Amino acid sequence: MSEPAGRRPIDVVLVDDHLMFRTGVKASLDDGVAVIGEADSVDAAVAVVHELRPPVVLLDVHLPGGDGGGGAEVLRRCADLAGEVRFLALSVSDAAEDVVAVIRAGARGYVTKAISGADLSDAVRRVAGGDAVFSPRLAGFVLDAFGATADVATGDDELDRLSAREREVMRLIARGYSYREVASELFISIKTVETHVSAVLRKLQLSSRHELTRWAAARRLL
Amino acid sequence: METRARLPLRRPERGRVLGGVAAGLAAHLGLPVATVRVALVLLVALGGAGVVLYVFWWVTVPSGDPLAAAEELRPAASVRLAPRLREPGRRLPVAEIALGVLLLTAAGVLVAIRNGVDVGGSWVLPALILLGGTALGWSQLDGVHREPGTWGGGTPVSVLRLLGGTALATSGVFLLVGREAPMEDLVRSGLAALAVLMGAALVLAPWWLRLVRELSDERLARARASERADIAAHLHDSVLQTLALIRSRASDSEEVARLARAQERELRTWLYDDRVTPGTSVAADLRAVVAEVEDQHGVPVEVVVVGDRVPCERTAGLLRATREALTNAVRHGRPPVSVYLEIGPDTVEVFVKDRGDGFDPDAVPEDRFGVRESIVGRMRRLGGSARVRSRSEGTEVALRLPVEAQEGSGR
Repeated sequence: MSEPAGRRPIDVVLVDDHLMFRTGVKASLDDGVAVIGEADSVDAAVAVVHELRPPVVLLDVHLPGGDGGGGAEVLRRCADLAGEVRFLALSVSDAAEDVVAVIRAGARGYVTKAISGADLSDAVRRVAGGDAVFSPRLAGFVLDAFGATADVATGDDELDRLSAREREVMRLIARGYSYREVASELFISIKTVETHVSAVLRKLQLSSRHELTRWAAARRLL
Repeated sequence: METRARLPLRRPERGRVLGGVAAGLAAHLGLPVATVRVALVLLVALGGAGVVLYVFWWVTVPSGDPLAAAEELRPAASVRLAPRLREPGRRLPVAEIALGVLLLTAAGVLVAIRNGVDVGGSWVLPALILLGGTALGWSQLDGVHREPGTWGGGTPVSVLRLLGGTALATSGVFLLVGREAPMEDLVRSGLAALAVLMGAALVLAPWWLRLVRELSDERLARARASERADIAAHLHDSVLQTLALIRSRASDSEEVARLARAQERELRTWLYDDRVTPGTSVAADLRAVVAEVEDQHGVPVEVVVVGDRVPCERTAGLLRATREALTNAVRHGRPPVSVYLEIGPDTVEVFVKDRGDGFDPDAVPEDRFGVRESIVGRMRRLGGSARVRSRSEGTEVALRLPVEAQEGSGR
């Protein structure tokens, strides 16, 4: 899904408290992504992001400093830049509480640190383009929270349910399909897949569905 | 403990007739229970020594499983995490029975007195009251031993029992000692005794408080030490061993990666996961299967699980088919290999996907047992279905197993 090369690279600020990891990420990103700033704590991250206003911030979930809120705190304190700066959360942990916390704080996606450099570069481009990045694991969380099988319509708030199509898309992503494969499987365009994924992300962020909170609490460790 | 094999002295819940003293002694001494019982009964003939000893041990020896107590004494490193299944202990409500017998006797004595029978002088009633009070107080002691967590009689009932027992025993002693003396003297000496007791209590209270505090401090420290030992043991067993292995095989990058991955997974489970009781979660079983395949073939596998349920014969069969599909995927396909398990209320579905070049399922020779027999055949026998889809960008095996609805399945 790489966009046509030759355009100027996407500027990225990298926030992680481990120097080794930042070095590794910088080395693994391809030419389409340029790291223009780094930060190693909550306060430094907020300052750097406000100063540089990059289109994309790669944000570690667990960060020292600030009020101890980690990546989610950075997101909250950068809320004034919403629309201009987009965040992609990175974490070693697959714990549901981490995922839900950063997504609900406004991150446009969540990837684990085991991701390959090419995939990460792709994810950065997708986030820069305004789309959401769903790893299979995140899709699994969504299905777990919203119910994987057809849901009896409780409550009338459409934010609290996934549509049949959204659920299908989530299941395919959870099965390891790329967006392109999802599109060809469902006979829809990649753009439509991206629209569905963004809609799911919005629901995940805004839904007051009690299962979401209850589930996150019950499975604080997954 | 003279020898390492000797179990500590405890009164077990299981196999007890009265207070579990004989059973506990037998376990401690390594003798048959019958022998100990006979010896105790014989000792009764010796001026009641058997009864005295029995009551003494009943009061002083804490109740509990000698095996569990021995386990606690061993270093935390070598202790099983999950307790063994035990048959439920049988225990007589001894305290209640004793109280009932006592009250019946008292009633009998009262009736006898009412009918003008002289029951062996005025000492019988006070003695009975004294015995009753002591029994009540000691039954409390027994209870305290039974639950070390509620030291100091945390529940109001136990406090009441202790107070009642003390009051009864005190009045019993009073009546017994001062049965000849006039009432006036009794009251006066009673007050004097009370004053002495209060004075002593005043002096001793700080010591007692400190003792209590030290005891709880020590208990806390012991819990902390045992936790630390647990962590240290785990780190030693797994992390340090793995690091040593990695150092010795530093040149074999594939092996190092495999070791590191296995170790990471194990440590992660240990740190973050609720420790799942074996045999209660299909999701955990699947993760175990995936971990094994990862270790065997050194290929990372991404696992996503939605929902969970208690395993049964058929889900175990499904997991065996999954393992076969997974082994095929890591052996013939290309990473990333992913497994998706979805457990709905009435179906369990597994998808195994790889990015290999794909193959034609119909072109698989008859002798290739894997796909045809282990996956498709097995799923059919289980009453489910298997579908293999191979395309240029990879192969996906979809397994589907209808299951009965189960309490708490799904989500």
